[in-house]
Amino acid sequence: MGIQEQYRKEAAELLSSGEVKLVIGYGEGSTAERRRPVFVRSAEYVSRLVLDGSCVANLSSYLVPEGLLSDGKKVAVFLKPDGIRSINILAAESQLDPEQVVILGFDIEGGQAAPLPGRKASDFTALIGSLKSAGLSPELQKDADRLEQMSASERFGYWKEQFSKCIKCYACRQVCPMCYCRRCIVDVNQPQWINTSSHTLGNFEWNIIRAFHLAGRCVSCGGCDRSCPVNIPLRLINHRMAKEALDTFGHYAGESAEQQPVLATFRQEDPETFIL
Amino acid sequence: MAKIGVFVCHCGENIASMVDTAKLTATIADHPGVTVSSEYKYFCSDPGQETVKKAIRENGLTGVVVAACSPRMHEQTFRKACAEAGLNPYMLELANIREQCSWVHTDRDEATEKAIEITRSLVEKVKRNNDLKPISVPVTRRAMVIGGGVAGIQAAIDIASAGREVVLVEREPSIGGHMAQLSETFPTLDCSQCILTPRMVEALQHPNITMMTYSEVEEVDGYIGNFTVKVRRKARYVRMETCTGCGDCIQKCPVKKIPSDFECGLGNRTAIYTPFAQAVPNVPVIDRTRCTYFKNGKCKICQKTCQIDSIDFDQQDRIETVEVGAIVVATGFQVQNTAIYGEYGYGRYKDVVTGLHFERLASASGPTAGKILRPSDGKEPETVVFIQCAGSRDAAKGVKYCSKICCMYTAKHAMLYAHKVHHGNSQIFYMDIRAAGKGYDEFTRRAIEEDEAGYIRGRVSRVFEENGKLIVRGADTLLGRPVEVVADMVVLATAMVPQPDAKDFAKRIGIGYDEYGFFNEAHLKLRPVETATAGIYLCGACQSPKDIPDSVAQASAAAAKVLGLFSKEQLEREPVIASVTDATCAGCWGCVIACPYNAIDRKDITDRNGNVVKRVASVNPGLCQGCGTCVTFCRSNSIDLAGFTEKQIFAEVMAL
Ligand SMILES: Cc1cc2nc3c(=O)[nH]c(=O)nc-3n(C[C@H](O)[C@H](O)[C@H](O)COP(=O)(O)OP(=O)(O)OC[C@H]3O[C@@H](n4cnc5c(N)ncnc54)[C@H](O)[C@@H]3O)c2cc1C
Ligand code: SF4
Ligand code: SF4
Ligand code: SF4
Ligand code: SF4
Repeated sequence: MGIQEQYRKEAAELLSSGEVKLVIGYGEGSTAERRRPVFVRSAEYVSRLVLDGSCVANLSSYLVPEGLLSDGKKVAVFLKPDGIRSINILAAESQLDPEQVVILGFDIEGGQAAPLPGRKASDFTALIGSLKSAGLSPELQKDADRLEQMSASERFGYWKEQFSKCIKCYACRQVCPMCYCRRCIVDVNQPQWINTSSHTLGNFEWNIIRAFHLAGRCVSCGGCDRSCPVNIPLRLINHRMAKEALDTFGHYAGESAEQQPVLATFRQEDPETFIL
Repeated sequence: MAKIGVFVCHCGENIASMVDTAKLTATIADHPGVTVSSEYKYFCSDPGQETVKKAIRENGLTGVVVAACSPRMHEQTFRKACAEAGLNPYMLELANIREQCSWVHTDRDEATEKAIEITRSLVEKVKRNNDLKPISVPVTRRAMVIGGGVAGIQAAIDIASAGREVVLVEREPSIGGHMAQLSETFPTLDCSQCILTPRMVEALQHPNITMMTYSEVEEVDGYIGNFTVKVRRKARYVRMETCTGCGDCIQKCPVKKIPSDFECGLGNRTAIYTPFAQAVPNVPVIDRTRCTYFKNGKCKICQKTCQIDSIDFDQQDRIETVEVGAIVVATGFQVQNTAIYGEYGYGRYKDVVTGLHFERLASASGPTAGKILRPSDGKEPETVVFIQCAGSRDAAKGVKYCSKICCMYTAKHAMLYAHKVHHGNSQIFYMDIRAAGKGYDEFTRRAIEEDEAGYIRGRVSRVFEENGKLIVRGADTLLGRPVEVVADMVVLATAMVPQPDAKDFAKRIGIGYDEYGFFNEAHLKLRPVETATAGIYLCGACQSPKDIPDSVAQASAAAAKVLGLFSKEQLEREPVIASVTDATCAGCWGCVIACPYNAIDRKDITDRNGNVVKRVASVNPGLCQGCGTCVTFCRSNSIDLAGFTEKQIFAEVMAL
């Protein structure tokens, strides 16, 4: 049995036994390589679930809309390791109870989907630990290094050019599982800290605030980067912040459901090189 | 309609010499909303304040900006003036055009432009200020003093004698600190023990003092007037309640050869011990790292010896929680480890000792019963070389600062040596003689003139042993030639440095420290015994190197501050506190974790039937210190700080 069949069967069992009320997975998209989320509430529809190498989106963002989990019932969701880390962060930030999330875990290896054993986020602790010690993505690091080698003004010029393309569609925000605030800071207009029009200053304000709000929280699922209609390399900003959190504070986003936010915690051994 | 009064202060020449105050006053007068704009030489003076009050009354001002010095200097002054004129004191803003402008610039035109911008931005802020009322919080009128050296003892006795309860926490088995180790004290040469011991006993017997020895502060929570302190009461293995201090156990303990810290290793102690004979309380402790019973499970000789069964091997450390309103930190100092000076041979040659060793040798209760005998062979030294600044004023190897006491105690040592060894010859290598203090210069003169101490101005380059003598090589910089002294003993005037755990301790209780680890006062000149953390005070050598007179004076000053705080049952607090917008809070609890004062709780929002709809953060106004940490953390921008609302700050920034 292929992985798709196996997971459809599992989904059907979860639904018919009543263990979960909903399965969130991937379905056919508008092209052969595109997948879109499907929400299956009954075992008879599990055949709509697709699982293959094109299933890249981090579906954990569909768990946070208000009310979905408030009845205490469980929901099953297809998740790659980045999505599992998102569950840990959402749990750590008390946006959901990890006990309510049944994980149908998989990873993509050589363009193929491969199963990951485990059902609860805590079953994947060892896996996430090994990802942490493997370090941040080497491909991204190469691109990041190119930016690091630039002079400060060259780098500023680079980002200025990139950000000048931003049309403030907020697709990056909508897709990100970490952007669950009911009212985003960009929508505050008393006072209006962030300019809403798409000019350079406003675009800088938005993208830099976004980077800071995701520092130590972004799991590099790539959702924002893929969704950006004007192809701003958002992954590079996120990567820079993730590297800072890891190198300075040993913080790897989503290590566990008890992890504390890197920007809110003080430890006695934190480096204080900037304070006298 | 806003009616703002702007008052531009010259601060004598401090501001007026660099800022064109006439131009500033005229420019601001045209700013929208400004009703009055005037300048004066000293607005903080009585007539200056009267001008402000009069302007408020006559023009019905709704806000006041005083363009002058830092709010740390005079915010209170002008708030009071506003209140006296009937304006809410929080409708005042200080535009700092002194520290942040005139003092730091050299170009008058640019400085004037900057002063205009600073003042304008505060005008925009004050337009958005709201009336605020101070918050009252109850005060727990009990103090904790941490550290039982002479400073801590003095502070405790002063507070207790004024009728307030004090908890005195000391981590050693006995109070006394370094002063208990000293022989005689400059500048009067009175015996240290004789003047200290009565104070120690007074502290023990004082009905208002609870003494916690062999105890350490683990955690401090809360804020001025309302601290909760967790104290670890280390297991003594001796019952404090019953022990009479007879010392039979100490006599019988078979482990006798443990170098005594109190004697600086010049004498020994047993595994069950009191650090010194006059210890207060006079109750021994068992050093479980050395005790045969704890090591091998056999012995218990002390228990068998004790006639009233006061030994308890099953005791455990206990955590005791104490509620106090104020904390005095008096944790003292340590002497620097002189091993950093390899060339002086400390640690290699037995007869190269520190000043503290010398104190023990000269002390009547010390290991030699007050005879100056050198450690290697117990002979009376005929020549003693003293090296001053062995660590102090040496940026390369030691510390940059002057330890302040070493010139004095070296002169004292030379005197004591001359009094005890009449034919003795003392030579002192020094950089300068710093003897500023009542009776201090007279004291060093006496050492030179009456007790014939030889002073050689210069540094020592090397000390080495030859034929049982210590050869001290150095330079006499006044004569400009090398010198060599053949000595029997060398005494190093070691630097006074912070306790080894000072930085950790400061972080634990939440006070600042300098690059060395001495604790920071709130203002070196004007608030020398307060820390930047309200309700925590400092005294003694934990703040900077000090002698006994300074330590004691500062201890009494800290006690006065505590008693001032305790003079009222309620404390007025700044109403600068945070509040959460329930509608937008996402309940992430980041702020709960970020708040350094644990001032944020979770609150349930319920519907009409009492069902919980969501949980949001909620600030406890009694605990919030207005630091603003939560405001900067909150991603959904759901927290605002009274007196510094986002609207105010935004207007301030946009006016620049
Ligand atoms: C060699 C030498 C000679 C001196 N001679 C003179 C002299 O002749 N005349 C003179 O005026 N001064 C003299 N001094 C200076 C004098 O010793 C100090 O001024 C004085 O001891 C300072 O008192 P203190 O209470 O601040 O600190 P300390 O005496 O160091 O007392 C601090 C106390 O706090 C305790 N403690 C530390 N950390 C903690 C903690 N975390 N919790 C609980 N308790 C803690 C310590 O155990 C200690 O008991 C001399 C100093 C030296 C080194
Ligand atoms: S910031 Fe982008 S890559 Fe990071 S978690 Fe959010 S969507 Fe994924
Ligand atoms: S998705 Fe791209 S264009 Fe849209 S707001 Fe984000 S960065 Fe800007
Ligand atoms: S940080 Fe902001 S969103 Fe999070 S709990 Fe606090 S107030 Fe609410
Ligand atoms: S301002 Fe916020 S972080 Fe600071 S003490 Fe108040 S509640 Fe805590």
